[in-house]
Amino acid sequence: MAEVVLENICKTYGNNFHAIDQLNLSVKDGEFLILVGPSGCGKSTALRMIAGLEDVTSGSLRIGGIDVVDMPPKDRDIAMVFQSYALYPHMTVFENIGFSMRLAGKPKAERKKRVDEIAKTLQLTSLLDSKPANLSGGQRQRVAMGRAMVREPAAFLMDEPLSNLDAKLRVQMRAEITSLQKQLGVTTIYVTHDQTEAMTMGDRVAVLKGGVLQQVDTPKRLYESPVNAFVAGFIGSPSMNLFEATLTGDELMSGALAIRLQDAAFVRRPGLSSYAGRKVVFGIRPEDLYDSSLESGRKYQTIPAKVTSIEELGSEQIVHLDIDAVRVDSGDPDAVQDFGLASNAVAKFEPTSTVRSGSEISLALDDTKLHFFDPETHLAI
Amino acid sequence: MTRQKRSHHKLKRAVAPYLYLSPSLLIIGLLMLLPMVTVIGYSFQNSAVLRRDPSFAGLKHYQAIFDDPVFWASLWHTLYFTCMSVIFHMTIGMAFALMLNSDRINPTLRNILRVLYILPWLFTAVIIAVIWRLLLEPNGVVNSILMQIGIIGSKVEWFSSPETALHAVTFANIWAGYPLFMVSLLAGLQGIPKDFYEAADIDGAKAYQKLIFITIPQLMPIIISISLLDFIWTMQVFPLIWITTGGGPIYSTEVLSTYTYKLAFSSYNLSQASASAVVILLISLGLTLFYIRYQKAR
Repeated sequence: MAEVVLENICKTYGNNFHAIDQLNLSVKDGEFLILVGPSGCGKSTALRMIAGLEDVTSGSLRIGGIDVVDMPPKDRDIAMVFQSYALYPHMTVFENIGFSMRLAGKPKAERKKRVDEIAKTLQLTSLLDSKPANLSGGQRQRVAMGRAMVREPAAFLMDEPLSNLDAKLRVQMRAEITSLQKQLGVTTIYVTHDQTEAMTMGDRVAVLKGGVLQQVDTPKRLYESPVNAFVAGFIGSPSMNLFEATLTGDELMSGALAIRLQDAAFVRRPGLSSYAGRKVVFGIRPEDLYDSSLESGRKYQTIPAKVTSIEELGSEQIVHLDIDAVRVDSGDPDAVQDFGLASNAVAKFEPTSTVRSGSEISLALDDTKLHFFDPETHLAI
Repeated sequence: MTRQKRSHHKLKRAVAPYLYLSPSLLIIGLLMLLPMVTVIGYSFQNSAVLRRDPSFAGLKHYQAIFDDPVFWASLWHTLYFTCMSVIFHMTIGMAFALMLNSDRINPTLRNILRVLYILPWLFTAVIIAVIWRLLLEPNGVVNSILMQIGIIGSKVEWFSSPETALHAVTFANIWAGYPLFMVSLLAGLQGIPKDFYEAADIDGAKAYQKLIFITIPQLMPIIISISLLDFIWTMQVFPLIWITTGGGPIYSTEVLSTYTYKLAFSSYNLSQASASAVVILLISLGLTLFYIRYQKAR
């Protein structure tokens, strides 16, 4: 077990493309760290560099205090779970799990003992003689985990290990991996683009964008205090609504829209008053917007909105709205999907809401939950 | 739908596949089955083709070829020629495929090599035979190079000496045939997921372990099917041997195909030639059945 430390790690490809730029990250012994970001953000590259499958252009990388930059993968004392699982189709489950021991020339009896132990932990004992082709997705996933566990590595590296599973199984495996990690206490770095996995599994989450680390923090703090508009938009589903407005006195003004801010908003953010008379980006999460005709929305101030469409999810309703404000793009390429052509805001309403598509409603918002960002730098205020 | 209509529909559905197959069945029947059956018939006749009313000969012609030492020599040469060809086609094809698939070689060089390595495939058997006859002439390039670097002391008559002729034609056939293996194995190699090798890297596999534990098992289906096909094809090679050595000197490169050809068109003993052809057919048939069974088992 070991600490994994990345210092000023850079990765540049031949065509001068900076896949990773000055990445600093320290993963504590036994910690479960999630690397998350939209596709192409460099998260897999970062993981592959830690594994040694990708060269580091510059910077230092230490696993358990040892600089591993120039070490081949096998000497780094890590184990990796691949997105495709990379199980050898011509080998049985037993042979797959015991492969690294076989390479190391361990005697068969020792191999059998260790593989049996792991198979028991992962409930694979009855499948040891099967070939991967005869296993279900979840079983293959467990074999891949077993292959990583067999070596008792200093760190586990997992590259989107659940993305090939169907939604239900993913939820189950999410819990299994988390509890297994807690049980083994092995430092784990886990790459995903799924922010539900990021929020539910990790001790801490590192958000990457364009090869640059945006924020590393606990899931709760990422959600509550994102450092910039990108993190704000990326964490949370549906994405946070971001709009541009002018701060006039204690009011946010945009078109026919006016949101009065309480003194507390300025007290909490001393920088905010300096934006007086200027443009500012404000954000509000879909879950902090309410149907004002319901009990829960009564005490909040309201703004006019037009309902463009509704997605009924049973436990809640995702309501797409058009409000009189200019939407700001957080820079998350996936966020665009949350918005239709005619809508510029999304709200999560309770299932009891009776709003109809096409109707004009008054939208209640919890102004204590507003986030503010600089319109130029998109940094949190 | 009435019952009559329904049964009519059923009949149509049952007959349709055979209607679609009929053109190809007809062609195969006329061009393959008919000659085959005819040759089998000839092998049991006296003076087949040559006489209008040939008499039944029983197994006489089979007896004759089995008593002929040249037949057994041909059979042995065929086996040697075929086994060596298949083994070397496979190993050379595999070595070149691994080389062309390696990312350690510069891509431009790789493309040039790819074209170079595939060249033997572009030539017909006749041209290959002529090329190697010229190269292996007593005063040819090969002898002069081998003498200069001191491997041989005097000029070797590769195709005309009974000691070297069979090796020389086998060599020419190996040169001509490895590209099929190379191309097939290269396609196979490119289909092996990169993850397999990366996972093995992390598990600490050395290059030869990756070859043994991942590459070869992954390529096994290709290796087996192409080897079987190559075996079947190489057993029947005729033009290369006919043009380089004609089966000589002193039967030293006589294979079943040249043996049969000579019986038919030099001795005009078409009945015995047919019997010999039937023997080749039976060996090929055995191998083909083996191949089909292997394909089914997959």
